[in-house]
Amino acid sequence: MLTFIGLGLYDERSITVEGQRALREADRAYAEFYTSKLIGASVPDLEDVHGIEIEVRDRAGVEQHPEDVLEAAENEDVAFLTAGDTMISTTHVDLRLRAHERGIETRVIHGVTAQTATSSLTGLQNYRFGKATTLPFPYAHGADGLPASVTDTIDDNRADGLHTVVYLDIKVGYDPTSSQTANRPEDTVGYDRADGDQYMTADVGAALLAEEYPELVGVVVARAGSPDPLVDAATMTELAERSFGDPLHLLVIPGECHLLEADALVELAGVDREALDIV
Amino acid sequence: MGRRKKIVQECERLMDEPENIRNIAIAAHVDHGKTTLSDNLLAGAGMISDETAGEQLAMDTEEDEQERGITIDAANVSMTHEYEDTNHLINLIDTPGHVDFGGDVTRAMRAVDGALVVVDAVEGAMPQTETVLRQALREGVKPTLFINKVDRLISELQEGPEEMQERLLSVIHDVNELIRGMTQDMDDVDDWTVSVEGGTVGFGSALYKWGVSMPSMQRTGMDFAEIMELERSDKRQELHEKTPLSDVVLDMVCEHFPNPVDAQPRRIPRIWRGDAESDLADQMRLVDESGEVVFMVTDISMDPHAGEIASGRVFSGSLEKGQDLYVSGTAGKNRVQSVGIYMGGEREEVDEVPAGNIAAVTGLRDAIAGSTVSETEMTPFESIEHISEPVITKSVEAQTMDDLPKLIETLRQVSKEDPTIQITINEDTGEHLISGQGELHLEVITQRIEKNQGIPVNTGEPIVVYREQSQEPSAEIEGISPNRHNRFYVSIEPMTDELVETIKMGEASMDMPEQERREALQEAGMDKDDSQEVEHIHGTNILIDDTKGIQHLNETMELVIEGFEDALDNGPLANEPVQGTLIRLHDARLHEDTIHRGPAQVIPATRNALHKALIDGTIKMLEPMQDVRIDVPNDHMGAASGEIQGRRGRVDDMYQEGDLMVVEGIAPVGEMIGFASDIRSATEGRASWNTENAGFEVMSDSLQRDKIMEIRERKGMKLELPPSIDYI
Repeated sequence: MLTFIGLGLYDERSITVEGQRALREADRAYAEFYTSKLIGASVPDLEDVHGIEIEVRDRAGVEQHPEDVLEAAENEDVAFLTAGDTMISTTHVDLRLRAHERGIETRVIHGVTAQTATSSLTGLQNYRFGKATTLPFPYAHGADGLPASVTDTIDDNRADGLHTVVYLDIKVGYDPTSSQTANRPEDTVGYDRADGDQYMTADVGAALLAEEYPELVGVVVARAGSPDPLVDAATMTELAERSFGDPLHLLVIPGECHLLEADALVELAGVDREALDIV
Repeated sequence: MGRRKKIVQECERLMDEPENIRNIAIAAHVDHGKTTLSDNLLAGAGMISDETAGEQLAMDTEEDEQERGITIDAANVSMTHEYEDTNHLINLIDTPGHVDFGGDVTRAMRAVDGALVVVDAVEGAMPQTETVLRQALREGVKPTLFINKVDRLISELQEGPEEMQERLLSVIHDVNELIRGMTQDMDDVDDWTVSVEGGTVGFGSALYKWGVSMPSMQRTGMDFAEIMELERSDKRQELHEKTPLSDVVLDMVCEHFPNPVDAQPRRIPRIWRGDAESDLADQMRLVDESGEVVFMVTDISMDPHAGEIASGRVFSGSLEKGQDLYVSGTAGKNRVQSVGIYMGGEREEVDEVPAGNIAAVTGLRDAIAGSTVSETEMTPFESIEHISEPVITKSVEAQTMDDLPKLIETLRQVSKEDPTIQITINEDTGEHLISGQGELHLEVITQRIEKNQGIPVNTGEPIVVYREQSQEPSAEIEGISPNRHNRFYVSIEPMTDELVETIKMGEASMDMPEQERREALQEAGMDKDDSQEVEHIHGTNILIDDTKGIQHLNETMELVIEGFEDALDNGPLANEPVQGTLIRLHDARLHEDTIHRGPAQVIPATRNALHKALIDGTIKMLEPMQDVRIDVPNDHMGAASGEIQGRRGRVDDMYQEGDLMVVEGIAPVGEMIGFASDIRSATEGRASWNTENAGFEVMSDSLQRDKIMEIRERKGMKLELPPSIDYI
């Protein structure tokens, strides 16, 4: 049996009760944190709380060499953990399909993700979101300036009156074989932690977006799921000058706002009502 | 005022009169006497003493050059010469003749408008004569001929007048055959063959400093019989005084070589692909000294005091101290710290160097040999490094760790000075690789590191550079990214030799305007549709983008290319470079979000797909070959041809030439290591020989596996091939 368990947003307590039960019952647990991470808990914290050893796999260990995970799951109860939900954003549906190919039973235990937290904290309705996009560090993608996929997504959504979630790039750890690491400039701005993890903060993201959309309103969601989440809104140019504290951060670009959405943004994010496009 | 100072002043005065300037190179087969001839010209111009000309080798400024008796770097010098009552400024570049230093010759040709080709009367036109002629003509540089060592025909070989005439005419005939063959497809030159009657051929002895030509005989009233008489009776000093070599040659230079105003309108379209209608094009064609500055760097050298010196040709404008100039291929500007001209190996600073001259500049720290330096950003000149690819590599490491930073600095410097040298720096192991044209080439470079920089180094055994190439077209192969969300569909096919040659010669490159590239590729036989979809050229490989309207592919293309380049630089057999492969990207499926199609996904996907396709197309190892020519007395001929055959070589031709036998053949570069000492002992030192790189050939099937395993072992790779390689 292979159980995919979402750990939720912030620390060892963000997992659901059902997830916790499944994890404690498992014979063996694997986790990956290469695209996102729990900011409020370390792996040893998780191991202590749940009473199970967790083997952390790198990207190659999940994508290229998942054989031993699958082999273990053929005979034992194996838990596979990620931050957020295992099937949202960095989807592990591929691993699930490979398990099915081998005749391994699987199940998914959901976790809270940034996607739902964003709606919850901002009051923007989940029905009114368009495609999401990720804003990469400039050194990490193959084009100049803002990648077209980011601007296209924002522009298409706005044309349809929809909100856009802009995830901000995360680089976890140093991978000496990765050309991204090699290209990473010494003085990259963003949030750098001592262990080499790098998180794009919302001010840096807003500064990048301000090149294209200086007057556009953006909503910052910081530390969703933590004891002190933050929501703030202003034009990209203004956001670029502010700071929002510890990671993780993301940005939302509101499209046309329903009256109640507008009320929520004014009250919860302190936005100037005049700056919104209200229908 | 010293004599030297006077000459500098005179040079400065003449620099402003392009009609009276001649920019020339002296080029020849190794040992045919270029440098001795250059010294004659210097002495004639009063730059070195008459007595020492011929012995001083003023142009061979490096200690190792004087030791080896050959020129290694191209050296520059300016001099003045009075012809028909007008003083002329002659900017001269002496070039190396040894084949390993061919890159220097090619670069020198960019700076000049005329090439004085020197041929040994006894040996005649040799392989390197052909090479330097080709290098000159390709650049649109006009040739004249000087037949040297005529004294040996008279005094040593005791030839009579008829015999001698026959021999000289046959040399002229051979050279003209070469010129005719190389210029027949050039519409911008008329007849550039040389002739005695036309005054474009001179004869003489650089060693004894005398020379003649048709015009000189008319002027001095001396005929050939008189010359032979004086030479034979050892009255060479008298001969020199009556008909000095320098006058004959410098007159020929002034009379027959084009000045910059004549030359630049023809040469600019040949070496520059920018907008022919622009003001800049006009200024370059007109040698406009008040136009925008355009300077092409043809050589970088180190001066212990002044630092890096960039020398080259000023095509437009005037170079002055303090100018901020763009250097092609780099961002930002460099400030000119000083400008000067060369006076016999030494630099003389001057206030400005106007268009049409050869200048020496300091302060251009980003420039390399081949850079275009200009006042405004412009289309750079055609690349000049396309004739030779490195075939041999050697590892270098500093003996003491303390020298490591200095060694790295020096190696970077070396590759700046000579772009035919490739440097691979490995800061982790401290073992660096230098790749070049031949054993001697690398030997000289390493010696310079040790002597000039005082860094003791250990060098490895020379290693031959191999290539990998598929022998047939492959099926369409799917490449899957590690997260399986991105897929690329790729096939390959071997390119025709004609197409490979076109790329190698730089006639089609990504630097040139798209329209021109298309035409060049079509001319080389590429399908019209394909030529419009060329996405990238790497080495001699082409990427064709056959996809249609795939969203986000354009922003992913850089990563696709990175994956392909990695696969091409490190072929699937033994991590050797892949050559002559046309890659087709048929289709791609991409993840919606950039993060999930980043480098960690796309690069392995395209790299693996390309390797699979190359294997499907039966990729094999190719080894570099060398043409070998040995001149040897009859009784050692067997031993000489045995030296070729014993090295997996093939003897193609053997024939008599004068009193010597000539053996011509071809052999793998890898087997030619150590040839110099072997041929010497096999022929008791009686053979003279010459090699020239002759491209890559597929190794025979029986050698493939052993060679691949040998290289893999050396590189610390796994000693088994992927199972899909079942044909080796």
